[in-house]
Amino acid sequence: MTTTRARFGLAVLAAVAASAAAAVAQDGKTQTVNGLQVGVTGVERAEKAGLKDCPPGTNTVNAVQRPGDELAVVTVSFKVLPDFKATPMKRPTVTAADGKTYNTSVQLVDVGSVPQYSCQFIYRVPQGTKLKSLQLDTATFDLAAIDK
Amino acid sequence: MEVDRRVFIASLGGPAVVALMDHEAKAEALEHYMEEKLDEMVAAQQPEKFPTVAEIEAQIETRPYRRGAGTVFTGRGGENVKKLQPMPAKPTLNDFFELRFAPANHVLQSATRAMKTGMSEEIILACLLHDCVLSLIKPDHGWWGAQLFEPYIPEKSAFAIRYHQTLRFYPDEEAGYEYPDQYYRIFGHDYTPPQYIQDTYKMLKNHKWYMEPRLVTVNDLYAFDPNAKVSIEPFQDIIGRHFKQPKEGLGYDNSPSAHMWRTLARPDNPL
Repeated sequence: MTTTRARFGLAVLAAVAASAAAAVAQDGKTQTVNGLQVGVTGVERAEKAGLKDCPPGTNTVNAVQRPGDELAVVTVSFKVLPDFKATPMKRPTVTAADGKTYNTSVQLVDVGSVPQYSCQFIYRVPQGTKLKSLQLDTATFDLAAIDK
Repeated sequence: MEVDRRVFIASLGGPAVVALMDHEAKAEALEHYMEEKLDEMVAAQQPEKFPTVAEIEAQIETRPYRRGAGTVFTGRGGENVKKLQPMPAKPTLNDFFELRFAPANHVLQSATRAMKTGMSEEIILACLLHDCVLSLIKPDHGWWGAQLFEPYIPEKSAFAIRYHQTLRFYPDEEAGYEYPDQYYRIFGHDYTPPQYIQDTYKMLKNHKWYMEPRLVTVNDLYAFDPNAKVSIEPFQDIIGRHFKQPKEGLGYDNSPSAHMWRTLARPDNPL
């Protein structure tokens, strides 16, 4: 009886946890990706943006705005969790409100080398583009609310 | 605004000079110093104004050397050149790295990144060698570089070195390559690559090895970290496996590029 109750309790807890995770994903808050706690903290537009790897180094090369486009800078925070295992991760992409997907040249390199950090992913998009979401591995982050 | 006391005192000529100043003079000096710093901070936030092609061309006659001269032929920062250490009788690639390409920080960083991101050994080698020829000559460095190394390295690495120069002018966001601001600075913001570069790009876009030079450009972009600590040691195995070191020494094996190695070895020869 106790075992059945315990199992039921665990099942309820798991369901609550799963629904909480889904809620977090919808809110665009932190999510766990490959042992990393990841959250989007801002979206800005810039004329010039530093091309640094993630975690960032001190590279001095920049991307520069060209006529007709702009640089969307998506800031993402990372925290390495205890269960992190090093696996190669693809660069995150953003999807605009019109459904078009854009790539960044900022690459994730040695993501477990620093316990906590923040990266800026640079996307060259046509001027006036509104961003809808950011895709990092299996996680999707809502950008519509923060891309004003 | 934070004021670094030591820097401020040094800007006035040191503690002895400050000791001779009255309170009013000190206050005035501090105000001047803060105004200057504020101007610097505002200037740093302004978008950089890149030169035009015409402005860059106008600088040609302001230099005692041409921009295309290899680094072994020019002094650093306008200074006189230094005497070079002689090369061993049978020089190896490592000897050239140590005695002629040094500090080689950029290529070592590029290859380190290629290694960290899991590139093939041919690409890591191409990254390690892609700009070494800048010691000898700068214009068309992709072609010169490929020619220098071609007799000793895999065909794919030579292809990557030859054509990375062309692909540097063409962004490829899918591959992770962005046009760098540095190119606006050194070529001019209104620069258009010459016809032969445009034609080479067209050829490359449809080439089965397009990604080989493209991956060199991707790693090239991120290899300008002034604080990076890098060394050639992690690449010794790759060099051992893929670089055919001639037993006579580089420059003395009668290869099609032997003369280029000899020029690098003895850049002070008058003829």
